[in-house]
Order: sequence, then C-alpha cells, then structure tokens
Amino acid sequence: MFDTTLTWNDLAFLAQGAAMTLAVTAVSVTAGTVLGILFGVLRVQLGGIWSAPLTFVLDVFRSVPLLIQLVLGNALQSIAKLGWAPFTTSCVVLSLYTAAYCSEIIRGGIGAVPATTRRAARSLGMTWWQDMRYIVAPLATRVSLPAWIGLTLGVMKDSALVLWLGLIELLRASQILVTRLQEPLFILLICGVIYFVISFPIARLGGYLERRWSPND
Amino acid sequence: MKLSVFAFSLLAATALTSQAHADKLDDIIASGTLRCAVVLDFPPMGARDESNNAIGFDVDYCNDLAKALGVTAEIVETPFPERIPALMSGRVDIGVASTSDTLERAKTVGMTVPYFAFEMAVTANEKSGVKSFEDIKGKIVGATAGTYEAIALEEQVKAWGVGEFRPYQTQADVFLALSQGQLDATVSTSTVAQANVKTGKFPGVAVVGKAPFDTDYVALFTNREEYGLINYLNLFVNQQVRTGRYAELYGKWVGGEAPALSVNGVYR
Amino acid sequence: MLNYTFHWNQALKALPQMLDGAVVTLQIALLSMVLGLALALTLTAFRLSGSRILSGFATTWVEVARNTPALFQIYMAHFGLGNFGIHLSPYTALLIGIAFNNAGYLTENFRGALKAIPDTQARAGRSLGMTPIQAFRLIVLPQMLRVAFLPATNQMVWAILMTSLGVTVGMNTDLAGITQELNARSFRTFEFFALAAVIYYIIAKLVTLAARLVAARMFRY
Repeated sequence: MFDTTLTWNDLAFLAQGAAMTLAVTAVSVTAGTVLGILFGVLRVQLGGIWSAPLTFVLDVFRSVPLLIQLVLGNALQSIAKLGWAPFTTSCVVLSLYTAAYCSEIIRGGIGAVPATTRRAARSLGMTWWQDMRYIVAPLATRVSLPAWIGLTLGVMKDSALVLWLGLIELLRASQILVTRLQEPLFILLICGVIYFVISFPIARLGGYLERRWSPND
Repeated sequence: MKLSVFAFSLLAATALTSQAHADKLDDIIASGTLRCAVVLDFPPMGARDESNNAIGFDVDYCNDLAKALGVTAEIVETPFPERIPALMSGRVDIGVASTSDTLERAKTVGMTVPYFAFEMAVTANEKSGVKSFEDIKGKIVGATAGTYEAIALEEQVKAWGVGEFRPYQTQADVFLALSQGQLDATVSTSTVAQANVKTGKFPGVAVVGKAPFDTDYVALFTNREEYGLINYLNLFVNQQVRTGRYAELYGKWVGGEAPALSVNGVYR
Repeated sequence: MLNYTFHWNQALKALPQMLDGAVVTLQIALLSMVLGLALALTLTAFRLSGSRILSGFATTWVEVARNTPALFQIYMAHFGLGNFGIHLSPYTALLIGIAFNNAGYLTENFRGALKAIPDTQARAGRSLGMTPIQAFRLIVLPQMLRVAFLPATNQMVWAILMTSLGVTVGMNTDLAGITQELNARSFRTFEFFALAAVIYYIIAKLVTLAARLVAARMFRY
C-alpha cells in the first residue's frame, strides 16, 4: 500500500484541488452569509405572512438535493446564455444554498434575544438601527456563531458536488489521479484525510464556542 | 471634422451590420480562439498525461480544426453530463467529445457527419468466466452512463430479464469497478477498452470479444441553428479523411486500420 | 434572447418512471434512518460505557462522519471497500454510506440531548432500585428521544437529499439516477431536473409533515 507511484507533482495537483475547494467555500460562504443576514432580518421584520414568499423560496433550497440544484442552475444559466464558467455557477448556487440555511440561523439568533431587552433598548431612545447594531447583533452572534461554523463546514463538504460541473476540486482531483494511477484506496484516503484536517479543527472551535457561550452554563 | 463623423458613422454602420449577420463561425474567427468541449477521462480520445495536461485524439482533432480556422484552440474539460450545458451557455463553441449522433440528441443540438466510429468490445474480469458477449447474460455488467453502449447494453439486460446493469458516471469508474470485481464485464468502445487494458493498471481484466451492437458513430456538435458552422465542420471532417490526417491520428492514438466513416447505401 | 424551446411534454411523459424512482429514494432514506438510529444508539451506549476503546471508537466514527463529505463516504463505501474485495451493490453502498453519515450526526444529537437531562434523575432511578440499564431505558432514553426528535427529523430530510449522490456509484433506480439517465439520453437537462426538484421538494415536505404528526402524538409537544 505504501509502495505508491504517487509523485510530488500529483500531491501538488491534490493541493490545487484542495485550494479550489477552499476558494469555492470562501466565496460561497461570504456571499451566502451576507445574503443570509439580509434575508434573515427581512423575515423577522416582515413577519410570517409578508415574508412567506421569501420563506418558501429559501425552503426550496433546503429541500432539494444540492446536486439537483447545481445541475439546474447550470442548465438555467446555459439556457439564458450567460456563459458563466463552472466556478461562477457553482459559487452562485452554493451561495443561495448557504443563504437559505444562514437566514434560518440568523432568524433563530434574533429570536433568541429577549423581547424585553429590545424594548428596553428602544425605550432608552435607541433607533431601530442602534438597537440592531448594539443590542441584537452582539447577543444574536453568540447564539448563531456555532451554528454558522457548522454551516460553513457543511458547505465546505458539500462543495465536493461541484465536480459534477467539471470543476477540479479536491474529490475530483483525487478521482483523476485514481484514473491514472489505479490506487483507489490510498488516494481516496489521502483525500479524506485532507478534508478531515481542514474540517476537524474548525469543528472543534465551533464546539468550544458553543460550550463556552452556551447561555445555560 | 466632417470626415471623422463620416468615418465614425461608417464604422458604426459596419459594426451594426456585421453584428446582425455574424454567426458563430464569424464569432470564432473574430475572437481568435476555438473553444472545444473535450471529455478527458475517456482514453485514448481524451486523457491527461503525467503533468495532468490534456492529450488524446479529440484534443488533436480540436487543434487541427483550430489551425484550419486560423485561430488558437482552447480545450475545455467537460465531464459527459456537462457537454451540453457548456455548449448552450456559450462556454464552448463546439464539442469534440465522442458524442454519439442519436436522433434523440439531435432534437437538442446540431450534429455533424461522423468524425469517428467505435466498435463495441466486451471487456471482462477473468474471475467472472466471461469469454464472449453471450456469457454476460445473467452477470453484473456496467457502462458509462448515457453513452450509446450503455443504452444498448441496458436494453439487452432488460431483454434477457436476468443479471444487473449499472451505469457509472465516468469511464474511469467503470474500469475501476471492473478491476475490483464489482462488475463482471463491461461493454465499451474497443478503443477505450484497449487503451485501458494496455496501461497494465488493471490486472485480470481483458478484452474478450466484440459486442454485437451497431457501430457507434460519433459526431462533432454545436448549436442546432448554426448551419454555417455545421457546414464548415462537415467539410473539415471530410478533409481530415481525404488528406489522410484521420488515418494518421487513428494510428497515433488507437493503432491499426481506421474504421470507415460512411454508411453504404445512403446519403447524409 | 432565449434561444431554447422547452420540451415539457417529454419530461411529463417520464413522470411515472420518475415517481417509481421517488419510491426507491424514500425507501433508502427510511432504511438508512432506521439503521442510523440503531447505530447511533449503539454508539451512544459505547460513549457512556466508560470503556476507553469503545468510546474512542464511537468518537472516531462521529468525527469522520461529520468531517468528510457525504459524497466521499458513499464513494468509499463502493470503491474503497471494493478494494478489499467487499462488493456492495450500488443500492447497498448508498444505504451504508448514508447510514454511516446518519449515525454520526444522530450520535452527536443524542449527546446534546443527554446533556439536557439532569444526572440526578438517573441517580434517583438507581436509588429506587433500578439497574443502570433500567434507569437508562426507562428514564433517560424516553426524554433523550424526545429532545432529539426534531433534529432527527432534519437528519431524515438530509438522508433524502443524500440519496441523490447514489448516481456516482452506479445507482440507476432512485429518482436522481433515473433523472440523470433520462437526461443523458435526450440532453434535456433543465426539464428533467426541474421535475425532479419538484418531486424532491414534495417528498421532503411530506416527510416533515409526517414527522410533526408523529411527534404530536408521541411526545405531545
């Protein structure tokens, strides 16, 4: 098993794949979080009935497999002749996917801020914006951050699916090497270890923050 | 002053008219690049060398075409399922991707005359005891999803009523499953079968015979309505054969005598 | 500008075939959930057993399941195990891959749920003469399941979504597999996948609704 034909060149190829995974994740999580905060706040402000259409659309993103979303997104951009590269398509779809989950987390976070606290802030003469900025944001962040870290890691792992569109990320890079070298187990194990090494420390950090910031402790 | 206004309006007029008439062929020539969709896990048609660069029959074919057009070629790797979206979205100009010219697909994209023809071969794992096409009845067989041979094989398995058919998304996965013994046999194009067996990376896997399916003609494809380009591509395919380049490329990547691309008794 | 004519009738003609696939999808998801729950209870027991080896095993399982992509896990179940001569059919590989993933996440859910149940309750049970197993089964377990039920519902929806990954290991009888095959034949990607998306959405909603009804009866939320 350790008698491998894998070269440094191939390891560099895997590293490039991992970099692609991270790049897709970074772009999607950033854009998805901004959108998610926007949608989350909107949903809270508008209330259940007025935000129903938005809630429905976001719910669709959480109820349809990501693979189907990616294929559909790609087909849609191709029909509209947008000519997006697979990277762009992947990031757009993944961002919306992230935003759908993120808005849920944000909504939960805002909901966890006691109404009395917010009323107190407003009666001190704070504007809505000041209330959001100085009262809600810090408190909601504490509640939301661990879940958000979990989401980020989830997106990182789900981003493996963009290989379907031809983007050479970590898993696809591994498959290409498996094709050429025919050492499936060894190469797939390396691939798994890379995912684990990226994900595990961040997951631990999330767990730590959750315990540390847990309001019941 | 007057002159420049005149020149400008002339320029604008040309720009406008040329835009109105420019078809894809014009666009390619004007842009200076020909972007080809090529599948790169389909040796010897498309593969990667040690530095993971694109090589193969289809890659050379695209380069030849670019040369004929006087532009530079750009190889865009597309997995099998991604070929059409890549074309539709304008990310590639044409597909040189071993695409079978089925009538079903011609409803969606425009196919040229065949530029390559595949014979179907049965490749089996020694342990399965498969020695010919007839032996695969009742066995677990697989092929690359959506290919001509996959569709034919699946129908055959259904007709037999015994055995199991599994489509994998890439040719590479089919051979991986075959060498692991997950599949007893596969039907693939003989070129692919030989190229894979020749690598020596699949111990216990051998080509055991021909499959009695019709020859699989594959075509270049582009948008359905781009007649100008399709016309050019048809002539290009003809010229490749006429000049002996087709036979040369066949010798380089596959070896042996190149199969005929024409069908007796009918025009296309 | 849109140079594409939709061929919806082609997709609608394939609807019965796709619905058959939806049944297989639901079946795999349900089975993977049952398996996942059984495994998760076992892993939770391992964690509580006090044995370092057993709880180490459980922790490794949970961390690997949670820190690698589901696609990777399913691919490993098929091609990774295949390397050892263990040949799982696409159906089994997909089922095992998802069950492995489910077990990891559910065990983590249970851990969270257990924290919500005060130790004193189990101790009170013990002082009433219950054995440790009785105390766990009669006092802790029902409450743990109650707390963990809603997250488990989410996991069930996840399991449905994960079944779509079976296409990468040669699965062709579930909804995604059938859709992909129809697409490969006709190149009508958008129509077929849009229809598949609608079906997935409906399945997910029905499952969520069913879970709510069950929860309302069982736990009187």
